[in-house]
Amino acid sequence: MKRDNKMTVIFLTPALLSFCLVFLYPTIRTLFMSFFYVRTVTDNLGKWEFVGIGNYIKLFSSPMFRQSLVNIFNIWFWGGIAVFLVALVFSVILTSGYKGKSFYRAAIYLPNVVSAVAMATMWIQYAFSSKYGLFHSVFTFLGLEKAAAFQWTSPDNQFFAMTLAYCFGMVGYYVLIFMAGIEKIPVDYFEAARLEGANLFKQFTKITMPLMRGVIKSSIVMWSVTSIAFFIWSMMFSPLDPDVGTITPMVYMYNLVFGRNLTPTDPRLLNAGAGAAVGVLMTLMIIGVFGLVNFLIRDKKLQY
Amino acid sequence: MKKVKMILMSTLVLITALSPAFATGQQEAANSDSVNLVYWSMWNETEPQAMVLKDAIKDFEKMNPGVKIDVQWNGREIRKTLQPALDAGTKIDIWDEDLERIVKTWQSYALSLDDFYGKAYPSTNGKTFTDTVMGSLQTLLRSFSSDGSLYAVPYQPMVVVVFYNKDHFDKAGITSTPRTWDELLQACSKLQAAGYTPITIDDAYIDLPLGMHLNRMYGNPESVEALVKDKTGNLWDAPEVMQTAKDFEALAPFMSPQVATNKWPAGQQEVATDQVSIYLMNGTWLPNEVMGTTGPDFRWGQFPYPAVTGGVNNNGGTYGAQGFQINKNCENPELAFALLAHLTSGKWDKELAAKTYGAPMDTSMPWPSQIEECRPIFESLDSWIPWSGGLAADTDAFPVIKAEYTRLLAGQITADQFVRNVKSALK
Repeated sequence: MKRDNKMTVIFLTPALLSFCLVFLYPTIRTLFMSFFYVRTVTDNLGKWEFVGIGNYIKLFSSPMFRQSLVNIFNIWFWGGIAVFLVALVFSVILTSGYKGKSFYRAAIYLPNVVSAVAMATMWIQYAFSSKYGLFHSVFTFLGLEKAAAFQWTSPDNQFFAMTLAYCFGMVGYYVLIFMAGIEKIPVDYFEAARLEGANLFKQFTKITMPLMRGVIKSSIVMWSVTSIAFFIWSMMFSPLDPDVGTITPMVYMYNLVFGRNLTPTDPRLLNAGAGAAVGVLMTLMIIGVFGLVNFLIRDKKLQY
Repeated sequence: MKKVKMILMSTLVLITALSPAFATGQQEAANSDSVNLVYWSMWNETEPQAMVLKDAIKDFEKMNPGVKIDVQWNGREIRKTLQPALDAGTKIDIWDEDLERIVKTWQSYALSLDDFYGKAYPSTNGKTFTDTVMGSLQTLLRSFSSDGSLYAVPYQPMVVVVFYNKDHFDKAGITSTPRTWDELLQACSKLQAAGYTPITIDDAYIDLPLGMHLNRMYGNPESVEALVKDKTGNLWDAPEVMQTAKDFEALAPFMSPQVATNKWPAGQQEVATDQVSIYLMNGTWLPNEVMGTTGPDFRWGQFPYPAVTGGVNNNGGTYGAQGFQINKNCENPELAFALLAHLTSGKWDKELAAKTYGAPMDTSMPWPSQIEECRPIFESLDSWIPWSGGLAADTDAFPVIKAEYTRLLAGQITADQFVRNVKSALK
């Protein structure tokens, strides 16, 4: 077929223009804005005040912003390990020929269908409640008084409670991805290994894992993107003002740009420029993770 | 020929892309013969406030033929969407949100309303609008603005008070509401003896009593702000701070055992379900929020935050309202203000108060029975204290103080530990 360049141009131009308009322009503007003091997002350029890296210095000198970085690292690292381990175990079990695979797969995936707002409300009011909560009832039934009295949503424990609830909802998604990855590996490998006398653990470490490199790699990147933008769960756990245990960079940014929810923020505390700086830092974090993952998990010739 | 084809194709693509813009343009042109006001509302369409406002607006349109009010029900998202829309020149004549927020944030977009306040409207019964609106709210409005003018019309006033269950007080033999901190502790002890859990609060409001207590001690929110912003931690050595901490340490044994874990609305449900007698501090909206649980016959009572030993200002309080603003570029400001007067005084003010079990704006209207004890409290306040009393002035310190205070109130730490922990966290 003859290639018609003009037609390509005609049909690509709107897509390219919209890409530049809705993606490239805001990205560049955000980067640019992070070096200025800008009170509100819609302030025109004339009102912008150049501060160099002042916004970044301000951010790193704020104990709450530093706390938000600690929180997000813990969610990403410990939460990631937990989610990936549980998801791998589930996907290996579900792909090893048990009956009712699709039922279990659907059941594990179900929390992803429910909106995060509903999920968080359910966890806070029905699972963690120290009076009627599921954990309270189950532990009381089992006679474990100390465990039943555990204060899930108190200032000391709410970070743990929030991360647990979040990770619970994320497992199903990765089970689905890992299952698809495992199912793509030819059955012959496993059959041959079994004939040679390899047990399930050996098969997992010597066949499944090495052949899943690509899948794991992209899953880590996806996990990083979603967890670094951690927001809704924090807002559900402390809807009015962020707490030490629930603050994340995204919530910090939201408060800088839009102000707090109940207490009217002193307008002088609003700083969309510093908010943009948080956005830039979050992007850098994701790029950093991406680079690290690419460095640590090299592509091998054979993978699925 | 090819060129013609290309031009035709490009035009087609452009027209397809721009067609929604053309559609809106035509719609606006069709409506140009009537007077249109655009109102961006802070309510969601299904909220009781929105239902009343909708009926009131319909009534206003009936009374003013040819006038059409277009309402956009934004919900609380308006805080984020309003300013970009105003900056982009969107036609918005009226908007509403928290009174303090609108004046402090959007004063430069709003019309000064002093002249309009001086006139009478059909719903004000021959009085001027100024005479209809609570004086304290007008003073507050002027204090929020940079030039002392009135930049908003308040409605749905609210005051922060202590809520209690009258049945529990009766059964525990408490005949008068506590006026001092010691009386509060005595009342709690009587309630406990009668078999009730005396007092509770939620995470969402837990900063209010601490802020109020410190305001009673220091007499003004500025001192509390200085305390929060103190990076040396030295101000926390003051006797006022230790006294405050000791007072709450004494209250801790009476608190609900789940107070540290109370995620809103768990604590207010404790009171609504008859398990706890006092809700330490909340706004006038509390009875409405838990109406689904309590029903309208629950015997609510209210008293002001008690006076504290050694306190210098025991008559201050947190109060406010929602408020409407009119765009300074509005083409029909008289009509817009007439609408606001229609919504916030007379029949519709009464209706809004009744449907939401909230306070009316119009001074001549009765208050719903669930919050009628709030009225004398509101009228007796002699100074205004901001929400959480100035504790929120430093966004870095506030969460730390709140967490330590939660531990103190839950009896997990002592007053000494509270002061020590806060000091070391602020340094």
